[in-house]
Amino acid sequence: MQIQGLVDGAVAEVGRVLLGKESQIRLALCCLFARGHLLIEDLPGMGKTTLSHALADVLGLSYKRVQFTSDLLPADILGVSIYNRNDASFTFHPGPIFTQLLLADEINRTTPRTQSALLEAMAEGQVTVEGETRALPEPFFVIATQNPIHQSGTYPLPESQLDRFLMRLELGYPHPKAEREMFQRQALAGGDSQRLEQRISTAQLTQIREAVAGVHTADSLLDYLQRLVAYTREAPEFAVGLSPRGALALLDCARTWAVMHNRGHVVPEDLQLVLPAVVAHRLVPSGDFSGDGMALVMQMLRKVDVIRP
Amino acid sequence: MKANEQIPRNALVWILLGMAALLAPHITRLPLWVVAVYGVCALWRLQIYRGVWPFPKRLVKLGLIVLAGTGIWLSYGSLLGLEPTVALLLTAYAMKLLELARRQDAYVLLFLGYFICITEFLFTQDLLIVLYSLLTVWLVTAALVALHQGARAHIRLAPLRQSGVMLAQAFPLMLVLFFLFPRIGPLWTVPVKTHAARTGVSDNMSPGSISNLSKSDAVAFRVSFEGDIPPKAELYWRGLVMSRLQAGVWSSFNYYEVPAAERRAAPVATEGEPLRYSVLMMPTQQNWLYSLRYAESAQAGVMQAPDYRLFRPVEVEEQYRYTVRSWPDAPLAPSLSDWRRLAELRLPADDNPRTRALAQQLREGAGSDAAFVEAVLERFRQQPYIYTLQPPLLGEHPTDQFLFDTRRGFCEHYAAAFVTLMRAGGVPARVVAGYQGGEVNPVNRTVIVHQFDAHAWAEVWLDGEGWRRVDPTAAVSPSRIEQGLEQALAGEGSFLADSPLSPLRYRGIDWINSLRLRYDALTYRWQSWVVGFNSENQLQILQRYLGELTAQKFVLILLGSGLLVLGPLGIWLMRARRGPAMDAVTREYLAFCARLARLGLQRGPGEAPGDFARRAAAAQPANAEVVATVTRLFEQAQYAPAGTMQREAAQRIRQSRRRLRPR
Repeated sequence: MQIQGLVDGAVAEVGRVLLGKESQIRLALCCLFARGHLLIEDLPGMGKTTLSHALADVLGLSYKRVQFTSDLLPADILGVSIYNRNDASFTFHPGPIFTQLLLADEINRTTPRTQSALLEAMAEGQVTVEGETRALPEPFFVIATQNPIHQSGTYPLPESQLDRFLMRLELGYPHPKAEREMFQRQALAGGDSQRLEQRISTAQLTQIREAVAGVHTADSLLDYLQRLVAYTREAPEFAVGLSPRGALALLDCARTWAVMHNRGHVVPEDLQLVLPAVVAHRLVPSGDFSGDGMALVMQMLRKVDVIRP
Repeated sequence: MKANEQIPRNALVWILLGMAALLAPHITRLPLWVVAVYGVCALWRLQIYRGVWPFPKRLVKLGLIVLAGTGIWLSYGSLLGLEPTVALLLTAYAMKLLELARRQDAYVLLFLGYFICITEFLFTQDLLIVLYSLLTVWLVTAALVALHQGARAHIRLAPLRQSGVMLAQAFPLMLVLFFLFPRIGPLWTVPVKTHAARTGVSDNMSPGSISNLSKSDAVAFRVSFEGDIPPKAELYWRGLVMSRLQAGVWSSFNYYEVPAAERRAAPVATEGEPLRYSVLMMPTQQNWLYSLRYAESAQAGVMQAPDYRLFRPVEVEEQYRYTVRSWPDAPLAPSLSDWRRLAELRLPADDNPRTRALAQQLREGAGSDAAFVEAVLERFRQQPYIYTLQPPLLGEHPTDQFLFDTRRGFCEHYAAAFVTLMRAGGVPARVVAGYQGGEVNPVNRTVIVHQFDAHAWAEVWLDGEGWRRVDPTAAVSPSRIEQGLEQALAGEGSFLADSPLSPLRYRGIDWINSLRLRYDALTYRWQSWVVGFNSENQLQILQRYLGELTAQKFVLILLGSGLLVLGPLGIWLMRARRGPAMDAVTREYLAFCARLARLGLQRGPGEAPGDFARRAAAAQPANAEVVATVTRLFEQAQYAPAGTMQREAAQRIRQSRRRLRPR
């Protein structure tokens, strides 16, 4: 009850600035609770930055934003040592990555070299600059946004790097009602960005994490998970099946999802709800299949029997 | 060569092992060089595998074929007939190793192996050989399995296990086919008849013919009595009656040599309870049967000759069982026809003058024919006659020489000399050849008659009594009749001298003997139930249980029992494929879903229970509560921690199912 209340409060708080996107907000929170990094993919101006900013506020995390451009260098993110004439020594000037929540805006606009510098830090939780290893703050989240790759001037992330993101979300156009409300609010407040309240403390974040560890997953649920995974490996529509890391990510998200809804056990719906966000960016359709990753996910959901093979 | 056509090393080893096993039972029948061909070909093939030697060129192979053919022809004097053909097949089989390059060659080799396994049965159908054949089938199947297990660097036993499992699975089907598959006559004839050796007593008797037989420890026939077994000294198994002496050889009349009026046996007055027994005869390639005197058989195909012996119009080519009734004391032919009297008195002219003189002298001295018989026997008893398996050769006037000079002989000498004496003295007499005695197997109470029990004795015709059996050997060596050949020859040590390994020589050692008798009892069962299971028996058994048999019924039974054997296997395999059995909760929930589907709400395969419940509640508000309860129960039992309420949940779901209402 307590966790669900917390989560609902946080979702409502974020919802104040991002109207009508409750399920995406919930999934984004789930991703952060599961200590994963989030990739938001959508067209410019859909609220990607708003969402990440709001999440940082609600979780009370220190927040920095890096706008990725094609001439951005790794040092611009990680930091650099500069010679200090007074001390006659090098002083390290930490880059924007030394924060709890980093918004990597338009990550696919920068070169693969810079991308990989960021992704390495995401995977390791630490940064090595000039031979010295520095730990990143705890918790450390990256929310990256990217434009759909068919837009010009982008360096699409390869599959191996997409895999580093626990979830990928698409925001999509707002509901007409929500959009109307947005217009009205804009007219009223004159476009001031409002500061949001912190709803979940770092200690509570740890609590949620602990609750996830205690969630029960029944054999029948694991059977379903295995059937899902096996389907991606066997059905001809898939060029590549889901990796064990992908399967583990799926399970972890489903457990977190169950905790967020105050359940001590995972039900198939938990898996199904997180499934598109967790696996769609990891699946590659085979040449014969006309749809994209999301279409594959829908097929999985439709074809794989929940209860028995 | 493509990788998938190669013969893996493991398979090659199993192929060689299988071939060795196929060859082994034939070794005693084959010339030694055929075995050598196997060794050379196996070595050659191994060297090919190691890349040391090449495959033989076409010309070399042609040369080898010609050599093998010539070799067989030189060894057997012919390329036709059973043994040369089998030898040719086995040689060709060995040389096929030199053409074993691809997987398809290995298939040919191994499938031919199954055929070669069967050739063994052309020679013997012994129980041990059958067991051994199962072993070779196992090995050949293992090679076939190994061929499909890909290239392996080391030799593995796994194919043996797998083929063992396969054979075990095939076993029930084998039994069904054995009992039910129609015994169809052969489409072609294997030339067994002409070349297989005739065994047992032959239709003529010259000195040495029976003593030769006595060197064999093979079983001639086995008899099982319905009642008590008569004493050993009474077991005179009559096979042939020989009434004609020509050029020193005794022989029997064939059917057309007897005048038409004499071709039926004169009726015999029988009284009292007969001995009832059945004889299981090993194949002899001859057509006479063995029985105690005076025998009748009600069995179709068993006939009686005018000299009161039984025979079959066709030769006994496979083992044959017949049932007999015997009245040992019934008088045979109290009156003798003129033709018969003349025939039984005839002796070649100017032969054995000393014997004739002796006969006349003894007949005159004796008052009657019976006394004359007694006098002759007395002479055998008194004078130093010796019973031996190693008699000296006899020249002109053999009977004279035997009676007066050498005085050493086997039963055929005594029987022939006795009958000659009788005929010379004017008493009708004839030689009877067959077996005497036998070994009683206490395990199953059968009498086992071996070839070394072969014997010849005499019958004399006395006025008022008919034919009487007289055994001159009994006068010379009573132990032959009472205890058997081994005791009779104890001093000489010539019993089975040529077969040092025969278990019969070790009858003195208790455990060997008991093992031998047990095995013989098993063989008897095997011979009568398995080898002797012919179309006649099959029909009898089926008719006993199923009444009149039509072709339709037969096919139905065959298919039905095949289904009975394969059905459970198929069901088991299908269950195994379907995965573990469903638990009760899932079963009940699925039944619940099925009920909802009939009410118009179909759960999609990927639809989770909770989602389905929400959809159902929206579509059918009347059932919303029931659906919610069931879904809650199912989710708790299925996904919540350690459900102790499994059974209860299943029960409650079943109850709720009945509360569903139609729209």
